[in-house]
Amino acid sequence: MKITALLVLKAAPETTDPVILANASDVSHFGYFQRSSVKEFVVFVGRTVASRTPPSQRQSVQHEEYKVHAYNRNGLCAVGFMDDHYPVRSAFSLLNQVIDEYHKSFGETWRSAKEDSAQPWPYLADALTKFQDPAEADKLLKIQRELDETKIILHKTIDSVLARGEKLDSLVEKSSDLSMASQMFYKQAKKTNSCCTIL
Amino acid sequence: MQARHGQSSYRDRTDEFFGVVESRRRSIAPAAENNVPHGGGGGRREDPRSAAANQSEFSKRASLIGLAIHQTSQKLSKLAQLAKRSSVFDDPTREIQELTVVIKQEISGLNGALLDLQAVRNSHNDESNISRDTTTHSATVVDDLKNRLMDTTKEFKDVLTLRTENMKIQEDRMKKFSLISSKESANPFVRQRPLASKPSPSQPAPLPWANGSSSSSSQIVPSRQGEAESSPLLQQSQQQQQHMVPLQDTYMQSRAEALHNVESTIHELGNIFTQLATMVSQQGEIAIRIDQNMEDTLANVEGAQSQLARYLNSISSNRWLMIKIFFVLIAFLMVFLFFVA
Repeated sequence: MKITALLVLKAAPETTDPVILANASDVSHFGYFQRSSVKEFVVFVGRTVASRTPPSQRQSVQHEEYKVHAYNRNGLCAVGFMDDHYPVRSAFSLLNQVIDEYHKSFGETWRSAKEDSAQPWPYLADALTKFQDPAEADKLLKIQRELDETKIILHKTIDSVLARGEKLDSLVEKSSDLSMASQMFYKQAKKTNSCCTIL
Repeated sequence: MQARHGQSSYRDRTDEFFGVVESRRRSIAPAAENNVPHGGGGGRREDPRSAAANQSEFSKRASLIGLAIHQTSQKLSKLAQLAKRSSVFDDPTREIQELTVVIKQEISGLNGALLDLQAVRNSHNDESNISRDTTTHSATVVDDLKNRLMDTTKEFKDVLTLRTENMKIQEDRMKKFSLISSKESANPFVRQRPLASKPSPSQPAPLPWANGSSSSSSQIVPSRQGEAESSPLLQQSQQQQQHMVPLQDTYMQSRAEALHNVESTIHELGNIFTQLATMVSQQGEIAIRIDQNMEDTLANVEGAQSQLARYLNSISSNRWLMIKIFFVLIAFLMVFLFFVA
């Protein structure tokens, strides 16, 4: 489950190509010679998908072994390249976050961008590494995961409580036997004490 | 009946034989014989001749009908084979339909011919004096032909039902495939089914991408999250619009579903906690009981210990008493000895 690249583009109207505003990609798992081509491929596919995503729409496309998720919000489009196992919901929540963050940091300056910006945006790179685990991006997923863990722990607790119950039952048995035995002991002692006058 | 037949044959054979010979002779030279006045004696001979003629005509007709039925059943078996071929490709609809029409016509024709035959036989029965053998024989023949025709019709009906079932299956498959193939272009069915239109060749550059995306978008469609979408490159934009809205919905739906899951998980957790509390309180009761038992035991043992202590005391004190009693005894003995000695 990994993210290969995250892109933020300015989705111009259909006629022009989208302009790349930020780009972060993780090509470490490709061979050294393929990295540049992969980067190009990412750029190209990202542009195409962004240009074909209508505004305020989400879209997921399958491309070879990647799923490309795109979210276009009023002209600002975030595109993510994930593999098939990455849950789609987390992908879109991640894109949401990226767009919000971009809004916060850059405001409206991106609207005037005409060319691909070459400056890296550190947040995007951080996001790429942080969100390799889909749980980070999607709060719901995180909560679900923690709840499941808690449930497992609770199940174990209940098992141990049941064992405790069994042990307590055996203790009750033993203590009742003990009290019976001590009662017999007392009666015997009393008996021997009562008939002593003969000797 | 056999005996009577035997009797009648025993009695009337010669005349019959003569009648047959006459009819043979007459059939050989029918033109000449027709002009011969039959007169009184010919009444008897006429009957066998007309009977024989009727019989031969009847048998000829019956044999024709039987042959036709056989041919129809052959065609029907071919039709059944075609109908069983339930492949999506090479659908022999036309041939099947042609065959169906032909078979239907033949069956109806055979029906009519059989009815005619029966009518002819009945009319012949009425007008001429045929022996009981011929009547039963013709009746059996007609019945047999009727049965065979009924079987053929039944088979035909079965084949038609099979055919309709297959067509329904094919339609469902078509619908399924057309739903998918409307989103993809690399599907081999696209070539055969005109339902899915091919992508326009005017966009060559993004086409391989669309092909690649579409070929694997079919795998995503049945996936649980079902949000995979094909690019607008494919077919009509209307379809794309229709699919855009479901994507938004499915995204929201998946979020809603996740929330529901979380809620139900929390609910279950609450349940588990409640159960835990119940179990612990029950076990608390058990612990109290154990405590009581132990206290009882303690009391018993203490009581027993005091008893034993008292016993010990009494035992030890008894010895003192015994010593005293012995002294007293010894004193008595001494006194006794004194008295004796």
